[in-house]
Amino acid sequence: MMTIGALSFIAPWALLGLLALPALWWLLRIIPPAPRRIRFPAIRLIMRLVNPEESSAKTPLWLVILRFALVAAVIVTAAHPVLNATNQVDGRGPLVLVVDDGWAAAQNWDARRTTLGNLIDQAERDSRAVALVTTAPSASAGRLAVSFMSAGEARERAQALQPKPWPVDRGATEILLADIDARGSAQVVWLSNGMEMGSADDFAAALRRIGTLTVFADLPGALPTVLLPPNADREGLAVTAMRASNGERKSYTIRARDEDGAVLTRRELTIESDEREGTLRLDLPVEIRNRLDQLEIEGQNTAAAVVLVDERWRRRPVGLISDLRRGADQPLLDELFYLGRALDPFTEVRTGPIEDLLKRELSLMVLADPGRLTGTDRTALTQWIETGGVAVRFAGPRLAGDTDPLLPVKLRDGDRELGGALSWTKPATMATFDETSPFAGLTIPKDIRIRRQVLAQPSVDLADKTWARLADGTPLVTAEKMGDGWLVFVHVTANPQWSNLPLSGLFVEMLQQLVQLGRGVAAEGENRVLAPLRSVNGFGHLTSPLPGAQAIAAKDLPSAEPGPTTPPGFYGDETARRAFNLSTSLGALTPIASLGPGVSVQAYEGSRETDMRPWVLTLALLIAIADVVASLALRGLFVFNRAAAAAGLVLLAVTPALAQSGPAATPSLGNADAALNVRLAYIETGDPEIDEATHAGLRGLSFIANSRTAAELAEPMAVDPSTDELAFFPLIYWPVTANAPVIPPTAAARVNTYLKRGGTILFDTRDEGGGNYVGNRLQIMARHLDIPALVQVPSDHVLTKAYYLLREFPGRWTGGLVWIEREGLRVNDGVSSVIVGSHDWAGAWAIDQGNKPLYPVVPGGERQRELAYRFGINLVMYALTGNYKADQVHLPAILERLGQ
Amino acid sequence: MSIDVATLHHRAELLAANLPPLMAAADRVAATVSQGVHGRRRIGQGETFWQYRRYEMGDPIQKIDWRRSAKSDPVYIRENEWEAAQSLWLWSDGSPSMHYKSKKNLPEKAEHGDILMLALASLLVRGGEQIAPLGRGARPTAGRTALLLLAQSIEERLLSANDNQPVGSLPPFEPLPRHSNVVLFGDFLEPLEDINRAIGAYADRGVRGHMVQILDPAERALPFGGRTRFEGMENEGTALIGRVEGIREQYADRFDAHRGGLKAITRSAGWSFVTHYTDQPLESVLLGLYMTVAGPRSL
Repeated sequence: MMTIGALSFIAPWALLGLLALPALWWLLRIIPPAPRRIRFPAIRLIMRLVNPEESSAKTPLWLVILRFALVAAVIVTAAHPVLNATNQVDGRGPLVLVVDDGWAAAQNWDARRTTLGNLIDQAERDSRAVALVTTAPSASAGRLAVSFMSAGEARERAQALQPKPWPVDRGATEILLADIDARGSAQVVWLSNGMEMGSADDFAAALRRIGTLTVFADLPGALPTVLLPPNADREGLAVTAMRASNGERKSYTIRARDEDGAVLTRRELTIESDEREGTLRLDLPVEIRNRLDQLEIEGQNTAAAVVLVDERWRRRPVGLISDLRRGADQPLLDELFYLGRALDPFTEVRTGPIEDLLKRELSLMVLADPGRLTGTDRTALTQWIETGGVAVRFAGPRLAGDTDPLLPVKLRDGDRELGGALSWTKPATMATFDETSPFAGLTIPKDIRIRRQVLAQPSVDLADKTWARLADGTPLVTAEKMGDGWLVFVHVTANPQWSNLPLSGLFVEMLQQLVQLGRGVAAEGENRVLAPLRSVNGFGHLTSPLPGAQAIAAKDLPSAEPGPTTPPGFYGDETARRAFNLSTSLGALTPIASLGPGVSVQAYEGSRETDMRPWVLTLALLIAIADVVASLALRGLFVFNRAAAAAGLVLLAVTPALAQSGPAATPSLGNADAALNVRLAYIETGDPEIDEATHAGLRGLSFIANSRTAAELAEPMAVDPSTDELAFFPLIYWPVTANAPVIPPTAAARVNTYLKRGGTILFDTRDEGGGNYVGNRLQIMARHLDIPALVQVPSDHVLTKAYYLLREFPGRWTGGLVWIEREGLRVNDGVSSVIVGSHDWAGAWAIDQGNKPLYPVVPGGERQRELAYRFGINLVMYALTGNYKADQVHLPAILERLGQ
Repeated sequence: MSIDVATLHHRAELLAANLPPLMAAADRVAATVSQGVHGRRRIGQGETFWQYRRYEMGDPIQKIDWRRSAKSDPVYIRENEWEAAQSLWLWSDGSPSMHYKSKKNLPEKAEHGDILMLALASLLVRGGEQIAPLGRGARPTAGRTALLLLAQSIEERLLSANDNQPVGSLPPFEPLPRHSNVVLFGDFLEPLEDINRAIGAYADRGVRGHMVQILDPAERALPFGGRTRFEGMENEGTALIGRVEGIREQYADRFDAHRGGLKAITRSAGWSFVTHYTDQPLESVLLGLYMTVAGPRSL
């Protein structure tokens, strides 16, 4: 083997082939590439030309280099180059690989796998037999006997190896290894986890008996850190992390997750220098703490760096016994309402019948005057209290009906009422709590008044059972220890009927103390069998149960050792699960100290050795392909049509542009209906009221014109001069408002075109025929229109006789002037293109759906409306027929002349 | 005749199928050119009015334009533009070397030659000249028929090329009348002696001519490189050049010498000579050619 930097050659003698390269040089020199063949008409001019440079017969230099590289690549492949060939093991005998695959191996698992793979590669190259032995107990039934196998087989098994979430058992492995008959010739490589775990020394000695021993071990600083289950107390959780060596001060990040894996919090935990352990106090809010499911050290991926948290570490839930017979229609009188409000912020409150509540773990059971308990309920409740539950019972009206109540003290019949109508006593206050009481230290608000209570029968132990009393000494809260639990009785109701205690903060604090008292136990016995629910795998991830995991009795779980049948994880079911942590059973962590003489300890290598042969061969193949292409190109067999390629690119670039350009904005022809019928049009002002009136007015005019004349006008329509084509409309009615905007130049251009080509526009300022304000506005608005000088309508104008003979042109108003273009200015046959007035004709013409006039005319009378319609008809006729009637004026004279 | 009807029909069909695009191209080129060309610009026999001239003694009385003369005191004579028809024989090279193009997007030399010939013919026919294809013993004719005859000669040449019959690279000799005109289209890459002999035969008879050399740009620039074996297109043989870049200058010298030789031959025969490359537009060369062929200088 030859090594140059990270590159090694397994068969270096093959590199001698590189010496043959000069021969290749010579060979290439004497065989030039074949010429291109070109048919050429002017061949006669080329013939007998002598080339001054004869070097062209040579192969081009770049082709020579290409072919050199090809041959060199093939030779280098033969020399079998390997990158990162370290982790060497000497000797020729069989290779025994002993792998610690317990929980601690997960910390540096990639390096372990790399080293293992390197060793197996090496054994494969040397054709050595390999035995692969793992020290952690396996999940499969029995441990396989150690046997030698080929390196390929060993690689398959090595690739299947995973760290186990339980400790190694080197003692059992020693027994297995005793079977190996290698007569001391074997090479033993122990990929250890770097920890003592019992006695590593003895194990190393056993390995040395098989053959030469090489040990890989993690550095003490790189050993895994273990997270111990937290201690729960009133303030919160105390989390302890433990490391294997006294090193530098180091900080770890502890991450708390909930059931869904969401991170609840991340806190720093520091282990001081020369300390093995460090503690972090997690004072989480109760809501967060109750969601806590798992704690882990960030960056540590072992099973021991994960601690699962079950309900033992949680604040216990409180059960409220609800009575379905009681309606919830008066919530402010319902005891459960006050209890729920007081308990909700810091505990989980469950409500239901006794038998349902007792199915799950509870710390506290609250009975708010439940009435008479049935026999089974009572038995279950008593049993639960005796196993450690705390039941709190409140007095109430129904208590009297219970002949044998479950109470800590005997009660006198009836109750005491203080400060009532028939009593001269005042409502009692509370006395300070005794030192022995769980409520000791709580401050009592001064305004608490007890108006009514039930009284205990005096007895010897009454004082001991009393946790709270009134100022006069009568017990308010009494309690009795039953088995491991407590039965607590509050002598008032849980609603404010008997006292204002439930309204006070003290009530909440007292309930909190009672919840702390409750330890929380399942009503079911410890004999139930817990099936594995979820398991922690070797890398500290919570997964589905491992294949070998078996169910275990609840009482055996605390004493169980983590192993193939009992991997760490959750046991039980989703409602009541128990956490089983690996770190509980781990003792102190100790790094491997000394393994005796003659044992070399190496660190794990991070880089996997890579066989370079496929890469170099691929390179050679690519060069060969390039050589073929180059040779063909030299003979002119490849024609690269650059123009076509460029055209393709240009086409690609241009196609979207073409697609975008599309048809240029074609002039809108508007609605086809506009062209199919003769109809009046109007311009919308933007004021809906005026626009509606205009529409109704034109509709009315069309209706009247259709019924009286030969004109057939369709439904009028609104047009927008800036977008619509105006050419279809003989007459456009344009109401002008006081705030009409100036016609934009583009629209004005279209209107001008319309006017020039014979269109007629009636501007109506609608201002009672006189007010000049809107008229001025019209001047401003029509600034961009080509409106010639206007004159008053002459008395003999066609408008006065186009259909009806008229003298004036009233609309809703009358008396104003109507202006038209001065005759002779336009070529439009003398027809005025613009008519300006102020009579609000549309208002006079307007009709509703029933063809009744909409607006009154001023000063009034149907005569005025009739005249308005007549003007309208004249206007329509004028717009449709032009000055036809003007010609008719001369008819009598013409007839007279003809007659002569 | 030994040609059976089926063959004739087949040929006619081929003619009909191939000719219109060629004719259309020629017409298109001719149309762009004819706008800039005016008549003979000389007084002479013709039908187009040219000018009025004051009557002078000796002018035939029949030439007096009485209508013009009636408008004023002097007597005017109406003179028409000279419109004399001349006879031209056209020939284009259809040998294999003309079917060459150095790039895909360039036309073949023969294509340009044929279009040029047809376009020139189209212009000439419009100008009233009489034309005939050279080498077929045909009489010059005027009008559209002459164009069709010319096109038919191209077609038959193409057909014979398809039948692998040898097509001459040089115009065949045909006894033409004196003072007739010949227009030759070809690449004229043959040895100068052969060309001289072919031209000389016509020049000796007093035939005036125009030689249009049509070349591919590659034949001037020799844009090849590397080790190349050149093969002739008319069985001239092969030439193996080790490095084409090396002979480019020598080739340019020989190319210029060849063209110089052609110029000398034509000059001594009193002919015109023009070179057209297939990457150049046809219109410019056609205009120049038409001015030369039909212009007053050549008459």
